[in-house]
Amino acid sequence: MAEVEETLKRIQSQKGVQGIIIVNSEGIPIKTTMDNSSTVQYVGLIHQLVMKARSTLRDLDPQNDLTFLRIRSKKNEIMIAPDKDYFLIVIQNPSD
Amino acid sequence: VKEQVTEDMLNEVVNIYLTETETITHLDMPGISVSVDADDAEAIKERNNRYAELCKNRMGNDKYMDRSMQAFIGASKSKQVQCDSIVMVDTATTWDMYDSFYGAEQDKTELTAEPEKSGYSESIVNSSRGPEKTTSLLSTTSIGNTTLEDDAADPRLILQSEKFQKVLLVMERCILANIFQPKLAAYRQLPIVEGKHNEQQDKEKRNQLFFNVLIVLDCDSVVTPETMEHREEDVERSLSPTLESLWVFSCELTKGRTISCMAWNKKNPDLLAVGYGEFDFRDQTPGLVCCWSLKNPTWPERVYHCNTGVTSLDFSAKHPYRLAVGMTDGTIAIYYVYSQDKTCAVSSSKCSKKHYSSTWQVKWAEQDMGLSGDDKEEALMSISADGRISKWFLHDDLDCVELMRLKRMQEEKDEMETEVKDKKKKGEILRSLNAGFCFDFHPVDSSIYLAGSIDGTIYKCSSSNSQQFLETYSQHFGPVTRIKWCPFNPNVFLSCSLDWTIKLWIQDQLTPLLCLTSTQKQVHDIMWSPKWATVFGAINEGQMKIWNLDYSTLDPVIVHMAAPGVKMTSLLFALQTDCVLVGDNSGQVTVYQIKNFTVGEGNQVRLNKK
Repeated sequence: MAEVEETLKRIQSQKGVQGIIIVNSEGIPIKTTMDNSSTVQYVGLIHQLVMKARSTLRDLDPQNDLTFLRIRSKKNEIMIAPDKDYFLIVIQNPSD
Repeated sequence: VKEQVTEDMLNEVVNIYLTETETITHLDMPGISVSVDADDAEAIKERNNRYAELCKNRMGNDKYMDRSMQAFIGASKSKQVQCDSIVMVDTATTWDMYDSFYGAEQDKTELTAEPEKSGYSESIVNSSRGPEKTTSLLSTTSIGNTTLEDDAADPRLILQSEKFQKVLLVMERCILANIFQPKLAAYRQLPIVEGKHNEQQDKEKRNQLFFNVLIVLDCDSVVTPETMEHREEDVERSLSPTLESLWVFSCELTKGRTISCMAWNKKNPDLLAVGYGEFDFRDQTPGLVCCWSLKNPTWPERVYHCNTGVTSLDFSAKHPYRLAVGMTDGTIAIYYVYSQDKTCAVSSSKCSKKHYSSTWQVKWAEQDMGLSGDDKEEALMSISADGRISKWFLHDDLDCVELMRLKRMQEEKDEMETEVKDKKKKGEILRSLNAGFCFDFHPVDSSIYLAGSIDGTIYKCSSSNSQQFLETYSQHFGPVTRIKWCPFNPNVFLSCSLDWTIKLWIQDQLTPLLCLTSTQKQVHDIMWSPKWATVFGAINEGQMKIWNLDYSTLDPVIVHMAAPGVKMTSLLFALQTDCVLVGDNSGQVTVYQIKNFTVGEGNQVRLNKK
């Protein structure tokens, strides 16, 4: 448990990281470093996107599954690691 | 109440009668057509013909008369029926069907045959939880997925799971890849993605505009020619060979520690092991071994705390997960790096023949075990300040065999003289042995090795002969700190010493071919470049130098000064790219890229005598 906390702290202190959100499969944030309203907004929107992405991949090949999703935008990059029980979302601005 | 089944009852012969019920006919619709070949076809045909004739004769025949009748028609009544609302989900997708086929085998929950149900659980998780929408769906999902929801509810389980840790690892590396991307790309010699593309372009445009404006406005001003010269100078400066610092491996754990050794993993060229230990005997801080991955320069993948300072490291080639560590109290430990387990795998502290003084270097080398040349096994060799070179075997514990004792040259001569006179004196005289500092095995014939000692003598020995040296080279005046065979020419080796010199030797000649001194500082480490035959790097206390013997034997090609107050202590060339790693006494390993370094063709070292 301590190792996980340490790793999360390290990730948070990396250059440009704006926030980390861990959500469970029901959409409830377990751990977040951002304020509540942004967290809820991110969670709701990202969840739908991940479902769509996963559905697309599996339609193409049912034995395949989504392991990592990165969305690079003009202002920042959102990295999502989806799993059966949880989502890990990290928002980073690499050119900060 | 179930009857108790006894053994006797099981063994009884039971008669079972099978009967069939009568055929129950629900619907019997006899056909209206008969095959032409049937038995009564003739009779039926005649009947058909008679009927056809009858119909023909009907018109105008008195036998038949037309008459109307009225049938009863009941009053019609409309009745309304309501059915359960039919909920449409995204039509069963390919993966839905796949999941229900194979998921039913894997899951323990009772998933009913309807594939649409698994689709419900996703639509339920909406952030807008309107109660009207979700109630009917909730009831259906609760049948199917109760166990899944229970597990998901516990956040601590999620955070502690191993999968989560792996995901965190990947995520951290992704983030770092974003940050370090240009540096890593330079290391791997890939084209660099310009993250600040727009900014750079803007800057260039601005510079150009500025330049143009100057030309237009100030035709006779001094500014323009100067700027032009400045630019040319810049261009010139960037063409001379230089080192560019790419990144630094360091973290809080390593701050302030001296780096004593570094080694690449033989199988995974991205894995670097670094040993931290003080050279000064008075400083007894416990040592540290960190395994760094190129993918994460901010935190090591593995951290091992050792009791005493670490002096030497080597990865095994045959079993790439074995890392051998030599320490200042003479113990040798082998760590298995594949697991996160922090404990040392094997240690030599219980061995009776272990070194009782610092182990200065450890190395894995292949040794001929059997009579045939093909039987090669890998063994760990170590050289230590107690003057012994040992070969270690790993069974359950480490055990060693002595390969050689470094006797002092003077004493050996005396011994020989006394033996000639007195004929085999069997008295055991305790003689102090020459402390050994470093050794290196021949790249082609691994039974020959060179060992350097504290009084400047270099011994050439063979692992099959543990009594005599093949050759001794005594041209150094101070302790020999490093010996390296040339990887391209099997007859050449380099040695460096605390007497400020680096000497280049040919195997069978007792005097060195070249003696290189550039500053009056002790040389701690040298290494041949794995890529260019005539290039090697050396570390003095405050400088890192790259020599190219092809270019000049008087001066190094590149001289890199350390930051003030920092002493460089260790050097390592990267194997596949032209980068060099330098460790210093503040706990940092800096990765430098060698730029603009042109070396002449030819993999052979030209041995020209002065």
